Amino acid sequence: MGVSEAVSTFVKDGIRLRSGGIGLRKPFALLNEVVRQKKRDLTFLLAGWTEDADLIVGAGCAPRLEGSYFGLEALGLSHNYRRAFEQGIPQPIKIEEYSNFGMTMRFMAAALGLPFMPIKSHLGSDLVKYNPLLAKKAAVIDCPFTGEKVMLLPACQADVAFVHAQRADGQGNVQIWGQWAEDQWGCGASKVVVAEVEEIVDEDIVRRDPNRTILPAMMVTAIVETPFGAHPYQCQGYYDFDRPFRRMYAEMTRTRQGFEQYLQDWVFGPGSHDGYLKKLGQDRLDALRAKPMFSEPVNYGY
Amino acid sequence: MATDGKFSLQELMAVCAAREIRNDDVVFVGTGLPMLGSMLAKRTHAPDAVLVYESGVVDARPKRTPWSIGDGCLVPDSAMVAGLLEVFGLLLQRGRVSVGFLGAAQIDPYGNLNSSVIGEYYAAKVRLPGSGGGNDIGSLAHRTVIMMGQDKRKFVEKVDYITTPGFLAGPGAREAAGLPRGGPDAVISNLGVYRFDAQSKRIFLETYHPGVTLDQVKENVQWALAVAPYAAETKPPHADELRLLRDELDPDGIFLGGG
Repeated sequence: MGVSEAVSTFVKDGIRLRSGGIGLRKPFALLNEVVRQKKRDLTFLLAGWTEDADLIVGAGCAPRLEGSYFGLEALGLSHNYRRAFEQGIPQPIKIEEYSNFGMTMRFMAAALGLPFMPIKSHLGSDLVKYNPLLAKKAAVIDCPFTGEKVMLLPACQADVAFVHAQRADGQGNVQIWGQWAEDQWGCGASKVVVAEVEEIVDEDIVRRDPNRTILPAMMVTAIVETPFGAHPYQCQGYYDFDRPFRRMYAEMTRTRQGFEQYLQDWVFGPGSHDGYLKKLGQDRLDALRAKPMFSEPVNYGY
Repeated sequence: MATDGKFSLQELMAVCAAREIRNDDVVFVGTGLPMLGSMLAKRTHAPDAVLVYESGVVDARPKRTPWSIGDGCLVPDSAMVAGLLEVFGLLLQRGRVSVGFLGAAQIDPYGNLNSSVIGEYYAAKVRLPGSGGGNDIGSLAHRTVIMMGQDKRKFVEKVDYITTPGFLAGPGAREAAGLPRGGPDAVISNLGVYRFDAQSKRIFLETYHPGVTLDQVKENVQWALAVAPYAAETKPPHADELRLLRDELDPDGIFLGGG
């Protein structure tokens, strides 16, 4: 399936959409297409948002968010987020806030088929004091066994989860290495999982190294082959951050006009993920490619 | 800037961060200056300190300055790679993280932190990034070290929003809220280093940075600041520490400026 078809088939206006990765493996090929197809009224979900949510909020796709961090890390505050929250541009947004661990536990609850998860953070803070979206966002109980105070957070279900992974086979078994972030739980919490991968490989390659599979095919709805699909983020073993690109994004999004120019230059103008890669150019992509740092093969024999 | 011309405030703050790390610590590292401070500690007095990163890396030994908590350079040469659940759950919530680093836009005298909104929650003047892992670290690490800029709008009598609990309303408040352990141990600002009184749980000044006067520190706090009777100037960085920071840990000036 192609990027365009995957988005038009699975992402309907009004759904709960989960992005992927924290600080790495962001599913930008799919997210750029969500913007191109002008999806609207989404509830956007994740633990750690950076440019992914800044783009989706700036493009007017998502007036509601449930999550925990919204900034550009070393590059500072998220400008589209601030404009939407502080000035209602391009539309007002509401966010239901938790912590990174809290969102992970909420996804995990949904992934395990449970209605809530207990957690020992959030207690005493204002994170649970304001609930602009959910009728009930958290509850403190006295543990029925020990009597200690425990915070309960409700399960967070998604309609569609995106994830960017290194590889999958034709059946849809998805393999990731490097940091997992909360991708297994976020995908497990979703009815539909769309995985964009660097490579679709022979089934044999996956089955000779099954410990690397984080999503078996039964949990995956569609696979999209998107080399450099996480650009300008990293994908372990494939490519590094594109630091000048991320600096450019942070700079251009300082003004609404600059962001609209970005959309024209890098989302609508190129028209597709292939067009985007063409615009980046082979030399730039080659310069980002990961160094070879192979581990020893392991013996799966018995 | 308050320096003697031989080192910058960022460099001094990174060195102060390193000094908070002990050789037997398990450190929950954030991005920026705490990352540099942690790497500096490992290269100097705390080679056995274990650095953990929230995207899933345990005992990282990165060969370049990570740009992000999820930077792939943290993975090769680490002891274990998993995900958020393992680092926040198996390590932090279980009580295996001895020290965590935090940043914020506002702090109050009990070390409560705001990194969410300036102003009323539903009519925010400035919308900030929110908790990230901050609330979890402040709730669950055995001790925390806070690094932030200081002025009267940041060191406030009452924070606009408690993103991350310090000592909440004072003695006994963390326990009453159900938090299992922890609380702030030090605050490193661009003007000085602070500790918390064991009884009152309120902040006091321990050292002021070279070139900064005690009056300057007090002027940049909203409340009547307590000062340790032994308060003195912050010890400046060693030449070795500066060399490591500049030449090896942040040669491009990503976090020390100029990058």
